[in-house]
Amino acid sequence: MKWIACELHTHTFHSDGRQSLLELARGAADLGFDCIALTDHNTMSGLAEREAAESATGITIIPGMEWTTFYGHMVTVGLQQFVDWRQADIRGIGSGAAEVRKHGGAAGMAHPFRIGSPICTGCYWEFEVENWQDLDYIEVWSGTFAPVKADNRRAFAFWTDRLNEGVRIAATSGRDWHEQVATEEPISVTYLGLEDETAPIDREAVRSLKAGRAVVTIGPLVTLEARSDGIAYGIGEAIPAARSGRLHVRVAVDSTVRAGKWEPPAGKCKLVLMGNTGTVAEQTLERLNGSVDAFSFTVPDRDLRWLRAELWGEIRGVRTMIAFTNAIYLD
Amino acid sequence: MLLDIEKEVTPADSRSHHRYAFKLERPYAGLRIRFEYAPKILEDRERAAELIRRSIERYVEPERREPALERAEQFQPLRNLITVSIDDSREHRGACHRQDPVQELYLSERKASPGLTKGAIPAGTWTVTLSFHAIVTERCTYRLKVWADEAEGDFQ
Repeated sequence: MKWIACELHTHTFHSDGRQSLLELARGAADLGFDCIALTDHNTMSGLAEREAAESATGITIIPGMEWTTFYGHMVTVGLQQFVDWRQADIRGIGSGAAEVRKHGGAAGMAHPFRIGSPICTGCYWEFEVENWQDLDYIEVWSGTFAPVKADNRRAFAFWTDRLNEGVRIAATSGRDWHEQVATEEPISVTYLGLEDETAPIDREAVRSLKAGRAVVTIGPLVTLEARSDGIAYGIGEAIPAARSGRLHVRVAVDSTVRAGKWEPPAGKCKLVLMGNTGTVAEQTLERLNGSVDAFSFTVPDRDLRWLRAELWGEIRGVRTMIAFTNAIYLD
Repeated sequence: MLLDIEKEVTPADSRSHHRYAFKLERPYAGLRIRFEYAPKILEDRERAAELIRRSIERYVEPERREPALERAEQFQPLRNLITVSIDDSREHRGACHRQDPVQELYLSERKASPGLTKGAIPAGTWTVTLSFHAIVTERCTYRLKVWADEAEGDFQ
């Protein structure tokens, strides 16, 4: 499995961004990203510069568009053609999301709890979601130093509530990146796990996103694997119902990724295995020292419906979540 | 001129679209669109403060409302936002989602304004859609003009 560093929410001057696609791709490369999704508001015209920007920077650019509607913003990535956002109706986003998926795309809620109209038009998600299976993901971390922001904490809790209800939906980050300005604030990365490394990266990345094979972080890459009856299950996968009663869980914390591009947490960190039953296991990490560290746990799987790993630590004097994996589900 | 429309809208028009169709009897080299609206900003700060307060009450969790209200000034000034999108007789030709209250847009085989997709200007029915994301001023007047050009060189 190859994990690639992605920025899934970006804009250029084709909508209200203040950068060209080439400037955006260069900025992404400088920050250690492998891949970006271009998600201009309601247009895909910026993709005309895709090939040139990709070959100049080595960055993979996934086509996309942010549905900037009156009742919510929906990020769509991986689709090869325009799907009309103007039909969106507050009573349901399902048909729009279905159309996006029909054209090969993945659909996600963008910054669902950002303040809405008229301060930020349509920014707060007001669409009714009749069937959560219509959507592929929720952008739970928006902007820079995302985990400490109240709107994002609310989105993260909202996602957890959906998992607890039995919904299987991914969580991602997106900077909503409009211009090349230097920031001292930690930058979020969504790592997508490519199963088929020979396939075109953009398509494989979207496939990973749809499968929930995603890890979100402002620092190290944290991955999760659970073994049940000798079979290994990865992030986004589901463990069948007939089980032995115990899961052997392995969490790897890779601090070698994007070396020098993120600030190590001060002091000790805490690795938490979280599920619908609450904290399942914990482990203290003395420090993140630029290596790959693996941790094993054996946990009972009774009553467990989903499981994720979270890394907590101190960044800029704030105790915060640093990274989380998407869930492994239990049937 | 293919379209020349002047119209006034009010806050009741927020979250709606106005669609204007025009017909090209034959293909052209280019199309020019001028769209403008005014005012852009809600100058009445008291009225704006009231709208901001309502937004905070609607969108912010109860426990965070008080600090949000204390910082409500950061959301001033409130602005009208109308965006333009275009469809030709066959396909969608893009949207210009930005804050500029005056937009001079063009479309041709070889060039297009940011947000729009370059390509042939075919005969048939075209549509300009105006999307009223927010109208915060008591009244807002917009003007939409569309011309067809015989030669690409007309717009540089």
